[in-house]
Amino acid sequence: MASSGDKSKNQSGDQKEKKRKESILDLSKYLEKTIRVKFAGGREASGILKGYDPLLNLVLDNTIEYLRDPDDPYKLTEDTRALGLVVCRGTSVVLICPMDGMESIQNPFISQD
Amino acid sequence: MASGLDSFVNHTVSIITSDGRNFIGTLKGFDQTINVIIDESHERVYSTTSGVEQVMLGLHIIRGDNVAIVGLIDDELDNRLNLANIKAEPLNSVVH
Amino acid sequence: MLPLSLLRTAQNHPMLVELKNGETYNGHLVSCDNWMNINLREVICTSRDGDKFWRMPECYIRGSTIKYLRIPDEVIDMVKEEAVVKNRGRDMKGGRGGQNQRNRPAARGNFGGRTGKPGQGGRNPPFQKQKPK
Repeated sequence: MASSGDKSKNQSGDQKEKKRKESILDLSKYLEKTIRVKFAGGREASGILKGYDPLLNLVLDNTIEYLRDPDDPYKLTEDTRALGLVVCRGTSVVLICPMDGMESIQNPFISQD
Repeated sequence: MASGLDSFVNHTVSIITSDGRNFIGTLKGFDQTINVIIDESHERVYSTTSGVEQVMLGLHIIRGDNVAIVGLIDDELDNRLNLANIKAEPLNSVVH
Repeated sequence: MLPLSLLRTAQNHPMLVELKNGETYNGHLVSCDNWMNINLREVICTSRDGDKFWRMPECYIRGSTIKYLRIPDEVIDMVKEEAVVKNRGRDMKGGRGGQNQRNRPAARGNFGGRTGKPGQGGRNPPFQKQKPK
């Protein structure tokens, strides 16, 4: 009796926190758009987002992998390879950003050395 | 003996990260995974040639994965140190 | 004060995030969650070597890949303000609840209200067991 009262109060508390299970990233806005994904371990890829789940597993179409310099694993080269339709494991996704609006720029930090 | 970092809060601490860097600052907060908030922080860079270099960094949150050591600093003792004369090998990064 | 509460308070502030792979991201914090996953907007990404720069309208970064975050100094003063406001609220509710704890359900409402607050308070550990919905 008292405990059920507690649960209903906690539910209203949960709603105030806006359902903790929901991700802070709403991937539905990127569906059918090209996104750039970086993975733990240094790989980078871009593709059209076809699907996703709350664990951040992704389905990308027309995927291009950006290859790294074999000598310096942190340096990106111009090389790419096409991967087609892929499923990306959410556990190793470290960064997601839309390709649309992304551009390479000159040093924007004027005061920095 | 304190089992947590509670006693260090609002005191000057030295944080050694897993890549061998040393940060000195005021510990403002921490959590179970040892993510730490360090205020007015500066990094001390040790070198065998020149004296210690201090780089001002301000307010930082350092993720617990990267924290190796959190040490309480005795401000009196620290102020007596003449950093320009101290030469030391820089620390190596953590090896598992 | 909890690092995650500081991060939540820093929403809409600019910050610098360095990832474990050495890349740095400068941007305004949109949101963050309990795992330190963050959403940034108006982001400038600097490569590990400091020689390449990209601008992107927004990005999502996994918490586990963050090395550290550099926050503007004024944020810590904002957190202190929040703590004062929360404590004032708690004292008021505690006063009422303390008197009528057994009789009134309002006391339980206060319980839910307390844990329902976004900051989660300075004393609650971040990984408290969450009740099933």
